[in-house]
Order: sequence, then structure tokens, then C-alpha cells
Amino acid sequence: MKIGAIAGITFKEAKRDRVLYLLFFFAALGIVASRVLAVLTVGDRIKIIKDVGLASISVFGVLMAILIGTGLVYKEIDKKTIYTLLAKPLHRSEFILGKFLGLVLTLLVMTAAMAVIFLAIVYAHTARVEGSLLVAVAYIFLELILITAVAVLFSSFSTPILSSLFALAFYLIGHLSWGLELIIKKMRPGTGKALVRALYLVLPDLENFNFKTEVVHGLPIPPAIYLSSFLYGVCYTAFILGLAVLIFRRRDFI
Amino acid sequence: MVKSGAAKRGSATGLLLAVLLASGAGIVTLKAATDRVVRKKLPGSSIIYIPSGKFLKYAAFGYRGLAADAIYIWAIQYYSTPAIDDRLDHFDHIFAIINELDPRFQDPYEVGAMIAVQEARDALERARDQALFSSLIRAAFAILDRGAANNPDQWVYPFDAGHIALMNLKDYPLAEKYFAQCMKIPGAPDFVERLRANAIFKKGDLKTSWETWLDIYKRAPDERTKKIASNHLYNVKATIDKEGLEGSAAKFRERFGRLPADLEALVRTGFIREVPRDLDGKDYLYDPATGKVKTVISPWRR
Repeated sequence: MKIGAIAGITFKEAKRDRVLYLLFFFAALGIVASRVLAVLTVGDRIKIIKDVGLASISVFGVLMAILIGTGLVYKEIDKKTIYTLLAKPLHRSEFILGKFLGLVLTLLVMTAAMAVIFLAIVYAHTARVEGSLLVAVAYIFLELILITAVAVLFSSFSTPILSSLFALAFYLIGHLSWGLELIIKKMRPGTGKALVRALYLVLPDLENFNFKTEVVHGLPIPPAIYLSSFLYGVCYTAFILGLAVLIFRRRDFI
Repeated sequence: MVKSGAAKRGSATGLLLAVLLASGAGIVTLKAATDRVVRKKLPGSSIIYIPSGKFLKYAAFGYRGLAADAIYIWAIQYYSTPAIDDRLDHFDHIFAIINELDPRFQDPYEVGAMIAVQEARDALERARDQALFSSLIRAAFAILDRGAANNPDQWVYPFDAGHIALMNLKDYPLAEKYFAQCMKIPGAPDFVERLRANAIFKKGDLKTSWETWLDIYKRAPDERTKKIASNHLYNVKATIDKEGLEGSAAKFRERFGRLPADLEALVRTGFIREVPRDLDGKDYLYDPATGKVKTVISPWRR
């Protein structure tokens, strides 16, 4: 209940944030502008529209998660409202989870709105609702949940600017960590290879949530990856939130 | 019994650590499990979205050199991974980006051309893929041409292009063109002139070849170069004489229905004015059974 209350307040608070609407405006602009880009191409216009649309949902969703998420906990500490909250019978873990769920709810609404605009644009070109695109959107949302957890983690002990940089770094690492696999293949067996292999397993692999290429080109997606990617996202989010709670519990605000 | 605050905090911390451990183990296990699932890839999809170097120059925010370094390092890894079947689809595009980002970055020109030639040879020898061979050889020339255009002071690019034309393509006029271009660049080594003369010989222009080798012989700065030029002059003259004698022997057979018994027979019947001798003044060897003529010694063992 307490988590729900905090989440509700966080959702209301996020709704009033002008940054959210600014980012939503640019995301919608990006999706609509894909029509203009499609005019400039020769050949498969709908592919350009799908690519740009999905990229807009992903990029602006991540910006929403980072820019709003990194200020969530910090603002409460900075404005000293945290004293009022923690003086009540409220666990710090409930506070963190409430904040996280509130932002996840906000992102769910925003992602759904962006997806509706995106599907409408695609419908205007193909005259059919392409449900398969929702698979890519759903996994983008799963990625956003993880990024939100990361933003909340950094927000629990750092300033918004640093937290944004850290979260952005997490996002970039997450999309580039697959390159380690190539290095592992080229390394000779030994300690170095084992270390890189360990790093590869521990670092986030956000490509697990990237089904954009498959969906746009209508490639088959192995059913096994749906579940493993979903569980991977859940585990990583749980781990990051666990860390956030652990750190936040030990923080001294005086 | 009501638990004390410290005990509650202790059990909560324990629970939290258990969550962290379980989720950490889950991350590693699921990562490995997800990696095992083979996802369908679009041919060339890994690099198809890389924009042109012209655009990247602006997108690199002034770090063009660094961007070129990064793409070059990546390209080396990418093209040395045979498991990527479609890696050669956009070969020239990738190296064009590097060249565009940093036109004075020398290694990508040479290494790019080298990879293209190696892969082209593999395509021909292993897969008998003539189309891929041609496309990669074209890419090698395109890369080296860009190197030459962006670095007019570097003789190595037309030299490499000439070498590819000579050795891999057997396109002797093209090889001659590149070697001639190379010779004009200050610092080009002397042997390029000799390679050009050899290309002229191989394309069949024996007269120009003779003149070129003679010029090299006359201007030779040392005995070694003089000897090399002399051997080639010997070879060019022998080739001219051989063609003349074998042609005359063929005409002799057309008229008399048999090959001449010796080369003097060609003089006696008016096909030639005199029997030529090699550059050392020695007679050529004639085989009356086949009508073929050869030198008494190899031009390279004189």
C-alpha cells in the first residue's frame, strides 16, 4: 500500500514535469518526421518510417527515464521533504520501490502514447495495424524499466548531473558490451580471457531487448529469447534496485 | 516475542543480500542462456546503417581522427572474422569512411587494399566467385586511388595499385599506368621504372619496351642495375627475334609444306635477310621438328 501511495505521488509529480512533455513532443515530432525522411529515400519508405519511429520511442524514452529518474530521490533530499517522509512508518526500501514504480508507470503511459502515434503513422502508409511492432515496443519498455532502476540507483547517492552521466554511460555500455564477445574469441585462453569473459557476463547487455531489426524486416524471432530476455531484464532490474535500497538504507541525511 | 529494531534491520539486510545474490546469479545465467539462442541476422545489417564519412565528419564533433581510429580498429577486427559471412558486402564503404574522416591516415589505404586483394584471391581460389573477386579488386583500386588523391606526395599507393594490376589482375596496361604515375612522385624508388618497363614488355609493346630498357641501361647508376637492364634487353631482343624467326618458319611451311631444316634455309629462300643472333652474339637454337626458336641460355643466367 505504502509503495502504491509513493508510486502514485511520483506519477502525479512526473506528470507535472515540463521536461516530460518536451521530450514527448520531440519523440512525436521524430515519429511524424519519419514521413518526411521516407520521402527522401528511394525504395522501401515504410522501413525508414519504422526505423525512425522505433528509434524515437527508444531514445526519447531513455532520456525521459534518465532525466526524470535521476532527480527523483535527489529532489526529496535537496528539498528536505525526505525528513517528513522518513519520519512516518515508511521503510526506505518502500520509498525507493515506490519512486521506481511511479516513474515506470509514467514511462508506461508515455511509451503507450508514442506507440499509438507510431502505429497510426505506420497505418497511414500500410493501411493495416502491424501488431508485430508492439513486440519491439514492449522490449523497449523493458529496457526503459532497467534504465529507470539505474537512474534511481544513482539518484540515491549522487547529484542529478552525475547520475545522468552515469546512467547514460550504463546505457552506452549496455549497447556496446557485445563487442567484448569478439575480443574474447580472439584472446588466448588464460586469466585475461577469463576476466574479460566475467566482465562480459556481468556488464549489461541491452541488445537483449533490441528486436527492432527483426520486427522491421519481418525476421523470425526465436521464441526462447522472449522469455530469457524478459527474465534477464527482471533479474538485472531487481539487482540494481537491490543495490539502490542497500545504499539508500545506509545514507545519513543529517 | 517482538523482534528488536536491530534484529529487524539485520534480517532485512540479509534478505536484501539474498535478493542481490539471487538476481546476480540470474543475470549471469540468463545472459549465457540468451547468448545461446541464435538470432536471425540480416545480411550486412551489422554495418548497413553506417552513414557516409561526409556526414560522420560533422557528427564526430571535431574528433575526426579519433573516429577514424575507432572505425579502423573495428574494421580490422570485423574483416578478420571469417565467421561473418557477409562482411565483404560494404567493404569499400567502410574504408571510404575512414579515408574521408582522416585523409592523411596512411595505414587504412594500404591495409584496406591488402585485405581486399587477399579476400579476392580467396574468393577466386576457394569459391570460384568471379563476381566477388572483381568487386574486391575494384575496391582495392578505389582505396588506393583515394590514397593517391589524398596524399599526392606518397608514391606507395600508385605503386601498390600497379603491383596488384601486374600480379593479381595481369592487366599490364593498367600496371604501366600506375607505375608511370608512381615514378613521377619524388622519392619513388628506382625499381619502379624497371617494373614499368617490364609491364610494357608484358603487354606486348616490344619496341617501347626495348627503348625503355635501353634508357634504363644507359642511365644505370650502378653495375647491378646495368646488369638487370642488360638481361631484360637480351630478353626483349630474343623475343623480337624469336617471333620473327618462328613467323618466317611458319610462312616457309605454308609455301613448301614442311618446316625449314635450319635457319639458314630462311635466308636462302628470301624470308629473312640474315639470321639474327642474340645480344651476346650467339646463335639461337632452332628445332626443325617444331619450328620453335630459343636462346642458348636463360636471359636471367647470363
